[in-house]
Amino acid sequence: MAAVSSVPPRRRDLRALLVIPGALWLLAFAVAPLAILFAMSFWTSSIFGTTTDLTLDNYRVIADDPIYFQVLLQTLRIALTVTALSLLVGYPMAYFLASLRGPKRGVFLVLLFLPFWSSYVVRTFVWLPMLGRNGLVNAVLLQLGIISEPLDWLLYNEGATHIGLVYVYTLFMTLPLYLSLDRIDRNLIDAAADLGAGPFRAFFRVVFPLSMPGVLSGCVMVFLLACGAYVTPQLLGGTSGMMFGNVIAPQYTVTNNWALGAALSVILVIVVFLCLVIFGRRVRLNDIFIGG
Amino acid sequence: MATLAVTASAPLDTRQRGERARRMLLWAYAGLFYCFLYLPILLLVVLSFNDSQTIGLPFQGVTLRWYEEVLGSPEMLRSILNSVVLGVVSAAVATLLALLLALGFRQEFPLKGLLMKIILLPILIPGIVGGVIYLVFFGFGEVQFGVWTTALPVHITWVLPFAFLTLFPRIHGLDRSLEEAAADLGARPLTVFRRVVFPIIKPGVVATAMFAFTLSFDEFIRTLFVIGNQRTVPVHLWTLLSDQMAPFLPAVGVVITVISMLVSFVGFAASARAGRAH
Repeated sequence: MAAVSSVPPRRRDLRALLVIPGALWLLAFAVAPLAILFAMSFWTSSIFGTTTDLTLDNYRVIADDPIYFQVLLQTLRIALTVTALSLLVGYPMAYFLASLRGPKRGVFLVLLFLPFWSSYVVRTFVWLPMLGRNGLVNAVLLQLGIISEPLDWLLYNEGATHIGLVYVYTLFMTLPLYLSLDRIDRNLIDAAADLGAGPFRAFFRVVFPLSMPGVLSGCVMVFLLACGAYVTPQLLGGTSGMMFGNVIAPQYTVTNNWALGAALSVILVIVVFLCLVIFGRRVRLNDIFIGG
Repeated sequence: MATLAVTASAPLDTRQRGERARRMLLWAYAGLFYCFLYLPILLLVVLSFNDSQTIGLPFQGVTLRWYEEVLGSPEMLRSILNSVVLGVVSAAVATLLALLLALGFRQEFPLKGLLMKIILLPILIPGIVGGVIYLVFFGFGEVQFGVWTTALPVHITWVLPFAFLTLFPRIHGLDRSLEEAAADLGARPLTVFRRVVFPIIKPGVVATAMFAFTLSFDEFIRTLFVIGNQRTVPVHLWTLLSDQMAPFLPAVGVVITVISMLVSFVGFAASARAGRAH
């Protein structure tokens, strides 16, 4: 991006017109739906359907019932914890991949990708037989004699939501981390060592700062995905591991209160975009995705 | 190993010993990580052969009847067909739109920064909201929900930013002097594209289309809200999961995973071959 903008336009180039079909498509199917959602959050839903009568009632309902605010806070907390956990789990893994040479690296990269070539519905579902009452974890613990009765609390709580989300999104953290670690010039690390930096100092003063683009883009990606999660908390979270998505969806699938659902969605979008703006002050949005 | 493993300026043998210890730690960690990644999947495969009416352990003998049940179900086959068709068409359209966008983005034009943000919009909208906005949008427009009417535009829009982000760096990094040389030699713009630009970026285009296909094939949350009473593969699995904990569910999961992986492998091979051809 930066390179493009720094080149002064020589003449009006008609090839820029090539963006028109894509731009029109996005206006019709990305911008317009978002605009309608925003408008609908001020409309009125009743048992007879949704009408365009303007009202602030939807937001009033949300403000009056503390449960919405609580779930929103819980969602942000879970998303942040999942982001931090993913970073902790993913960083050594990315470091490992970047340290490999030759065909070994290709093999382990493919091994990392392989599970993500399946739908995240499947990737979430696999944790039911892992953590369930007659699941693998219980079977192993029983076998080892550590417990005498199967544990019931492994599933359907916040912990299960965390495990599921870290599992489902770990590629989105590990991959940008790996890409940025791979780009680091090894001479810099050798130089740090030659100048007397021990391994830890060299890591925290040289490697980690240089991998910041990957850290940021991985964190933003996982945070975004986790904020909009629905499947994982729905399948694994029970009532205590509930997230905002599980409050929005029933407005459409159960109560048919489209206007309230729209207001809740608008709130989630605004909160997520605010978080992005805060991040965006430190790193340019485009670089997060393109620059990994 | 060598790239990032940091060496201290201590005497050489302790330095080497420290490095070897760090390497072993790294390998041990990688082992744990891959266990975390693969254990649940292996368990799913094992359970899909388990001759038991409940999903879970203990293992009570091998059976193929869950697979017979799954592969004999017309609903499952219809969802596979829907998913494949959606994937192919949305990958083709999204890759074409993304290619045009990426080519246009090499020039300066007004509102370029804004358009970039709009391109990212489908990714930035939280997943659940991504489903809701299309339900509201098409519902309000009274469009009949279905694979072609609503799911297809939703898939194209969802896949488009990823296709653009994969293509843009490759097209942006293209050496302009080749095109200028061709133009100086009298080639018309379309000829320059067909004979010079496209052959160079073709592997990237193929890889992008494959990536787009898998994204569409695995898409769930946006599809769920707009597919009406039709089903794609992930939606089918979800419906089964919500309805009942049927003993054949692990087999469904394995079948879906195998299809996704096969397609991705074919895509991988195709893009690698396209890459070798040039």
